[in-house]
Amino acid sequence: MTIYEVFLKKDGRDEFRHAGALDAADDELAIIAARECYVRRGEGDRVWVVARDAIITADPGFFAPNADKPHRHHSGEAVAARRKQIREQLKIAEEDQ
Amino acid sequence: MSILSPAAREVIIAFADDEHLMGQQHTEWIGVAPFLEEDLAFASIGQDELGHAALLFEVIVGSDDAPIDAIAFFRDADDWRSCTLVECTLQDWGDTLVRHWLYDAAEELRWQLFADSSVQALADLAVRAESEERFHRRHADALLDALLTVDDAAGRLQSALGRLLPMALAMFEGVDGETDAVAEGVISAPFASCAEAWKQRVTDRFGAQDWASIAAEPSANRTTRHGDFASMLDRIREVLDLDRSAVW
Repeated sequence: MTIYEVFLKKDGRDEFRHAGALDAADDELAIIAARECYVRRGEGDRVWVVARDAIITADPGFFAPNADKPHRHHSGEAVAARRKQIREQLKIAEEDQ
Repeated sequence: MSILSPAAREVIIAFADDEHLMGQQHTEWIGVAPFLEEDLAFASIGQDELGHAALLFEVIVGSDDAPIDAIAFFRDADDWRSCTLVECTLQDWGDTLVRHWLYDAAEELRWQLFADSSVQALADLAVRAESEERFHRRHADALLDALLTVDDAAGRLQSALGRLLPMALAMFEGVDGETDAVAEGVISAPFASCAEAWKQRVTDRFGAQDWASIAAEPSANRTTRHGDFASMLDRIREVLDLDRSAVW
């Protein structure tokens, strides 16, 4: 048996989302099982079924260093926090004078 | 509802009873099919067959629930017109899979007999049923494609086929008055007219069969019941019998 991952969406709406996984003997049985396991109630009519082994990935260690780079966050939160910190330091400095 | 002749009613009941019991048999595998995904798929196919049965009963009695229950659950055994293939309870998954394939190969041909029915509701139903049956056949074929290439599985499936063919041929048994129903245009030809095309499908799928030596189990125009029928009917009625006046 092979493990497959199932992604689905409704036509013209949203993006494909991961629905879950299933076991199947081959591709044809996988698409049939996906129909019964994940779209029995009309959850979507566009379905991707992908053998888990066909998904390209790498160890968490390969991706983790990117978590520590606030300058790459473009939400402005990091910059705003830093400006606030500087303002408060200046204020304290003025009061001390 | 339109007024159906006794012959038309008999033919529709025969098909409805086959669909009802095939659905019941399939759904009894919920929780015990070989693996979870198949469990869901097979029970779902069984639900589709139960749905076809309900719609066929509706053609006969109208859309009120009560008369449908009366005809679907509370007829005496003698008044059923199902065939032995759907009445027998199979203990083995391999037998069950082969029966699923044999039944659905015939079901497609049998629905085609109603495609141009003089009863419009039946013609409409034939279109709807086929949209689901396409999937049922794909499911059965995909499993057989995978299993018939494995020696052990192929041997078990072939021996299942040998056991089931006499009962499967009983699917093409007609009912009393069938020729009248054909004359009325309710059905385009007797059930038996599908047998040759079905045998060809069986041969294409499982290899050559010695058809001359395989006789359909006799059922006296579907008026006799298989030994497993009584206990199955008890299971179908198990909850209803707790309180027949209960409202759901």
